[in-house]
Amino acid sequence: MHSFINFIMGPMVWISFLIFFIGVIFRLIGLFKQINAKENFVYTYLSFKYSFRSIFAWLIPFLPVSTRKSPVFYSISYVFHLLLFLIPIFLLSHVALLEESMHWSWVTLSDSTADSLTLIVIFSLIFFFIRRFVVPEVKFLTRLSDFLFILIVALPFVTGFLAYHQFFAYRWMVIVHVLSGELMIILIPFTRFFHMFLAPLTRAYTGSEFGNVRHAKDW
Amino acid sequence: MMKLKRFIFITIVILMITAFYSYSQEEFPMVDNLIFDHPQRPAAVFDHDDHNEKAGVEEDCSICHHVYEGKELIKDESSEDSLCSECHSLKTTPENGISLRMAFHNRCKSCHFKSNNGPVLCGECHIK
Ligand code: HEC
Ligand code: HEC
Ligand code: HEC
Ligand code: HEC
Ligand code: HEM
Repeated sequence: MHSFINFIMGPMVWISFLIFFIGVIFRLIGLFKQINAKENFVYTYLSFKYSFRSIFAWLIPFLPVSTRKSPVFYSISYVFHLLLFLIPIFLLSHVALLEESMHWSWVTLSDSTADSLTLIVIFSLIFFFIRRFVVPEVKFLTRLSDFLFILIVALPFVTGFLAYHQFFAYRWMVIVHVLSGELMIILIPFTRFFHMFLAPLTRAYTGSEFGNVRHAKDW
Repeated sequence: MMKLKRFIFITIVILMITAFYSYSQEEFPMVDNLIFDHPQRPAAVFDHDDHNEKAGVEEDCSICHHVYEGKELIKDESSEDSLCSECHSLKTTPENGISLRMAFHNRCKSCHFKSNNGPVLCGECHIK
């Protein structure tokens, strides 16, 4: 058991990040190959200024008009995405483990803060889940895989929360937590999670076209 | 009148149970964590002599209570009259590359991993 725990909390973390980085590089190479073959005219108007203008405009809460049309969904989504990165990166237990193996360390959230923020993430995911049942236009577009992705994101947060509180089956809770966290990292480049890289590229593309060609705002 | 007697009786029982629990919890031996600014976790369970007997390390105190001169480990000498925090500060400094939390964790966990026995996950030492 000890060597298994040592493996999933040691080498497997690095293997997961390696697969993640290699996957991202391959996906991006494939994407740019496609652009070069089919749409290489985008380079004629692609601009740094309009790309970043668009990316930043879309990062400001409620600046884009479309986000004002569904304020509740958008607010929850905004906070959710922020916490999705904030919590695991600044969690005391994660940073402590990293310090012990790599001597890297940085500021951390206190455990009680992280615990409350984790609850916000879990409730956001429940909201996204229910929304897919009750909002007709979303329900219409929902497939089984949408629920699967909500589950994959929920798993490391729910198991981390249950483990922290030591409610039951502590050792197994941590094992499932670590494995589900690694699964999520590995899946990013190969699934819909890749939108974390595609979204800024889409903004650069659209922002440049609106700024340079149509002389308009794209938010 | 009966009601009042019953009320007093129940109150006394509850008080005794609470007293027993708080007493028995304090009895459980732990590594003191008061040196940490705002302890984030319950203090780690560690029954010093019992642990070292079970782990078969009661002969060599220097496995944990080691002595350094600068960065040089002095073999065959031990520092059981000092706390770990006398040399390991809370934050890493140029003189000491091992923060106090990390000193505890690396010492305890590396041996547990090596001997395939003993706790290795947060909640197995920091028991709520
Ligand atoms: C498995 C590691 C380990 C071993 C082996 C070990 N100790 Fe300790 N000991 C500790 C820890 C941890 C503390 C708590 C130190 C602290 O709070 O900074 C401690 C505390 C002590 C203290 C109290 C220190 C103080 O100033 O309050 C004494 C005395 C002590 N140990 C004696 C011994 C002796 C004698 C031996 C050898 C027979 C021994 N220890 C072996 C881990 C160990
Ligand atoms: C007399 C001072 C002193 C005391 C007391 C002391 N240490 Fe250390 N310890 C050091 C120094 C110096 C180093 C080397 C730091 C470096 O390499 O930068 C060190 C290194 C370590 C290391 C990393 C190297 C290794 O041996 O694995 C651990 C872990 C450690 N100490 C744990 C402890 C624990 C636990 C205690 C208390 C039981 C303790 N130390 C008490 C001075 C001390
Ligand atoms: C030199 C090796 C070694 C070191 C160092 C060590 N342990 Fe252990 N520990 C063991 C072994 C072996 C066991 C299993 C003993 C058994 O139950 O047979 C164990 C068991 C335990 C247990 C289970 C309960 C018990 O007492 O058997 C606890 C809790 C524990 N260790 C805490 C600690 C803490 C805290 C530290 C650091 C201060 C520490 N250990 C350092 C070897 C070590
Ligand atoms: C083998 C036992 C052991 C394990 C496993 C362990 N710790 Fe500790 N930890 C200790 C000891 C001993 C101390 C020193 C003082 C204390 O808390 O009793 C300590 C101190 C700490 C401290 C500093 C004091 C505080 O409460 O703020 C933090 C934070 C901490 N541990 C977090 C963790 C986390 C997170 C994990 C899991 C990734 C973990 N520990 C796993 C034994 C352990
Ligand atoms: C991206 C993936 C991950 C996410 C989102 C995540 C998130 C979390 C959350 C939310 C908690 C609980 C916080 C709380 O409620 O207080 C937690 C705890 C923890 N996580 Fe992760 N985690 C991830 C990956 C990992 C990995 C890969 C490891 C192992 C190396 C790991 C190790 C731990 C440990 C040891 C705890 C503490 C458990 C305890 O307190 O007993 N996590 N994590």
